[in-house]
Amino acid sequence: MTAMAQRIDQLWPELMVLTGAVICALIGLSRQRSMRAAVPIVAMVTLAAAVLIEWMRPNSGSESGLLFPSLGHYVKIAIGILGIGLAAIGAGHMDRKFEAQIALGRVSFDPLRVVRGEYHAFFLFSIAGVMLVCGASDLIWLFLALELVSLPTYIMVALGRSNRAAQEAGIKYFFLGALATAIFLYGFALLYGATGSLDLIVIRDWLSVQSALGGLSSMAVLGLLLSTLGICFKITAVPMHFYAPDVYEGASTPVTAFLSIVPKFAGMCALIMLLGTVGWNGHSITASDGVRIAYSGLPQPVTAVLWMVAVLTMTLGNLGGILQKSIKRTLAYSSISHSGYMLIGVLAGPGAGFDALFFYLFAYGLMNCAAFSALASVERRGNDVDSFDDISGLRAKQPLAAGVLAISAGSLLGLPPFLGFFAKAYLFMAALEAGHVGLVVIACVNSAISAFYYLRFVLVPLVAPPSARADELAASNSAFPRIAAAVCGALLLLLSAFVTQMLGAASRASSGYTPVAVGDSAQDSVQSARAPAGGDANQVVVDSSTRHP
Amino acid sequence: MLPLISTNMTAAAACASSCLAQIMPAGQAQIQVALTISALLFTCGLVGFMSRRNMIVMFLCTELMFQGAALAFIAFGRQHMDTSGQVFVIFILTVAAAEAALALGLVVLLYRRRATLSAEAWGELGE
Repeated sequence: MTAMAQRIDQLWPELMVLTGAVICALIGLSRQRSMRAAVPIVAMVTLAAAVLIEWMRPNSGSESGLLFPSLGHYVKIAIGILGIGLAAIGAGHMDRKFEAQIALGRVSFDPLRVVRGEYHAFFLFSIAGVMLVCGASDLIWLFLALELVSLPTYIMVALGRSNRAAQEAGIKYFFLGALATAIFLYGFALLYGATGSLDLIVIRDWLSVQSALGGLSSMAVLGLLLSTLGICFKITAVPMHFYAPDVYEGASTPVTAFLSIVPKFAGMCALIMLLGTVGWNGHSITASDGVRIAYSGLPQPVTAVLWMVAVLTMTLGNLGGILQKSIKRTLAYSSISHSGYMLIGVLAGPGAGFDALFFYLFAYGLMNCAAFSALASVERRGNDVDSFDDISGLRAKQPLAAGVLAISAGSLLGLPPFLGFFAKAYLFMAALEAGHVGLVVIACVNSAISAFYYLRFVLVPLVAPPSARADELAASNSAFPRIAAAVCGALLLLLSAFVTQMLGAASRASSGYTPVAVGDSAQDSVQSARAPAGGDANQVVVDSSTRHP
Repeated sequence: MLPLISTNMTAAAACASSCLAQIMPAGQAQIQVALTISALLFTCGLVGFMSRRNMIVMFLCTELMFQGAALAFIAFGRQHMDTSGQVFVIFILTVAAAEAALALGLVVLLYRRRATLSAEAWGELGE
């Protein structure tokens, strides 16, 4: 019981966010205009409260029963902060035409025609899902948390706009999402079959015993591969990336911003938690009789697949980005290529690789927040801006949005004074340390290719002459996107001075993770190993000194 | 044709697994049968999802894949003499029901715009 009480005690931020979701759904239906206008503010306040609760909590890493005991602390704070930015981008966006008509007195309020409350409730549910992913102790929890992230996003895509494109995007996203869910669910089933447990730590113990006894069973490897493939959908990595440009284009700007950040956070955390059950290279178990059992880490097929996925994701993302005319499609390809860079961090493994990965995730979120808030702070004839023609010569009308777009593009490209440069540099250095020289070379070439389209975000708004379409640009109805743009743009510059501290926080996220069973539990698992392959556990012991000098 | 086969197969798989569980102590052979059926269900769903263009049928195919995974969980749970696999199945059914509600809502929304269920009618997004 105390263990359960302890787990619930860790869930205060999630409970806070879920309460906020209920409040949003209720006051979104209020007859008073001021109450409805307060919905995004309620969302932001609850997120801020969740961040504060988690921030005040001493990160003792004592949360037992988790594979990554300290991951939740970092991720909850990071996604909470980014969530505030995302809520600011969406403030005033939902129902804006209907609310404008009500303000003019043309129509009266109709609770069936407003979606602002529901939208923000789903927004908060999805963010609570990300927070829950990091607290997953077993596969059931992980599955439910991942679904809690995804299901609201399908609705948000369809709700965000009432045109055909949004509905097409919604159903496309839903079908492919359901397919991906089924695929990683089957992967979970195979992992369960290979280990006989749903608990991530028990799975890790079993897999480390299996791998010490002569390699993982093919069922476990297949399970890991299928789970990875399913999660590739969430992080828009290559075999499952093709939906991203269409869905990002069809969804409204705040939803696109949400899709480019939140599912990616959840997917990356789920990916390292799943791969964490087999661990990375260079570890060994010491049984109590002093015999060290060598342990080989990620199985070769998984490493090979991840390597190819990383290379293909960044290359196809960057090549696709060059050809686009739509801003949101370009940003979709940019987000695909950034997933490829993040997978380098996953391959580099615990230590420097994870530190860089978590730092990169937050930096990436901030950069995308900046870019999308700049886009959301202007509108053309009451609609989202979507082509580069629209923002041509933006500096004359909206200097702030133009400047922030340029800063975020520079940061996404990885230019030195901005946060993106440090994130990318740490990622590449970690990969070099782990010996992935080929990957880093390919990633550098890719960064150079990406300059083609990122420079358009700098040149078109700042240098190009205003086009005819750009004359119809106006500031959006709410001030929140402009505030978010200013804050995110400033943070991209200012946070570069605090890179060491941020990297320190990121490195605490993966602390407490041990890739293999340690101490008595290892001894027990070896002793009790019924050796699924048929061998006898106690007789097959490999001396690690031959493998690990 | 395919939805018919797959529906029959779902029924067959459900019958087979419940019969197996009740009549005889599940030996390795019975578990193998259940696992084979689960793999078949999953593959049928995957193939159907790729080849069919009717949105309802596509949705049914994803459900088929879910049930394939659920059956695998039951079989593996039996193999390891562990009940947590069956617990997982209850959660899978719940999530599948939530997805069904969502899918039908979205499909009805699209059907109102264009009176067709074919996914081919929707191709506005793209380069």
